[in-house]
Amino acid sequence: MTDSNFPDFDTMTPADFEKYLPDFFANGDGHVSSDPRLQTFLANNPDCAALVRDLETIAEHAKSLFEPSYDPSDTVWSNIQSKLNQPLTEDEDPPLAHAQ
Amino acid sequence: MDVQGLHMTDTKPTPALFKRNPPIAGEAEAIEAAKNGDAEAFSKLYALHKRRVYTLCLRMLGNVSEAEDMTQEAFLHLFRKIGSFRGESAFSTWLHRLTVNLVLMHLRKKGLNLVSLEETINPSEEDAPKRDFGSRDLQLTGSVDRVALERAVASLPPGYRMVFVLHDVEGFEHNEIATMLDCSTGNSKSQLHKARLKLRELLRQPEQLVQPASLQEAAR
Repeated sequence: MTDSNFPDFDTMTPADFEKYLPDFFANGDGHVSSDPRLQTFLANNPDCAALVRDLETIAEHAKSLFEPSYDPSDTVWSNIQSKLNQPLTEDEDPPLAHAQ
Repeated sequence: MDVQGLHMTDTKPTPALFKRNPPIAGEAEAIEAAKNGDAEAFSKLYALHKRRVYTLCLRMLGNVSEAEDMTQEAFLHLFRKIGSFRGESAFSTWLHRLTVNLVLMHLRKKGLNLVSLEETINPSEEDAPKRDFGSRDLQLTGSVDRVALERAVASLPPGYRMVFVLHDVEGFEHNEIATMLDCSTGNSKSQLHKARLKLRELLRQPEQLVQPASLQEAAR
């Protein structure tokens, strides 16, 4: 989305801002608070600035969840070993085989 | 059987996932050995990747039993098709895509039709984030406890959770998510935004965050 798709950055209302916020996030690598086009608006609308900071904080902390937290039970590996030793039935034919 | 969006080739590496999935010591050797049917190599690859695959399944499904079933399926598919991995993208990127696609296929089979159904992806009004935009006292402190965030994510409605996990946790781009969920890019952006708003609301009321049964069970 280009600037022409957005309202005027200096005169837009908080409602406009809310409407376009998903696009601001998607187009600005997630760093809306440092977008130079929005500095005046955010300075004049502290509630919007606070919202942006909160959403950026959530997105930033979400990356920490990429590191795994949980272990499957030992049964999972036992089942995998058992099934690997069985011949494939037609139903079990991996659909991935058709993807290439 | 043609499965839309189920790509097992590794010809389109995703830079974001490459960065977050650096090669693991001993992994390349294990992959080559596994291609030759080495059982020990399978075991090693499982040990290296089981937590990440299971955690991904658990976050997407919110259910321990189903997450374990999907983990099992993901590794069975992986081991049976490992010969098609050519090393053009990170192995874990390849494995994550495989897992995500299997989970989505599983959800579709269950009848949770994520395909182009806004009403399915969108949660009910009750679950939607409240329109509290503009209230000044909603600002978070600038840091979020990982455990609280984990609980809040688990509390999200399934449609929100799916897009949030795929984008903010796993690092997929909106266009990739749109392809996987067969929805528009705009829909993916919108769902992500609503998910973050809902998380903001949940994180502001940590006393109301109860640990979902799935996480309690998984933590045992």
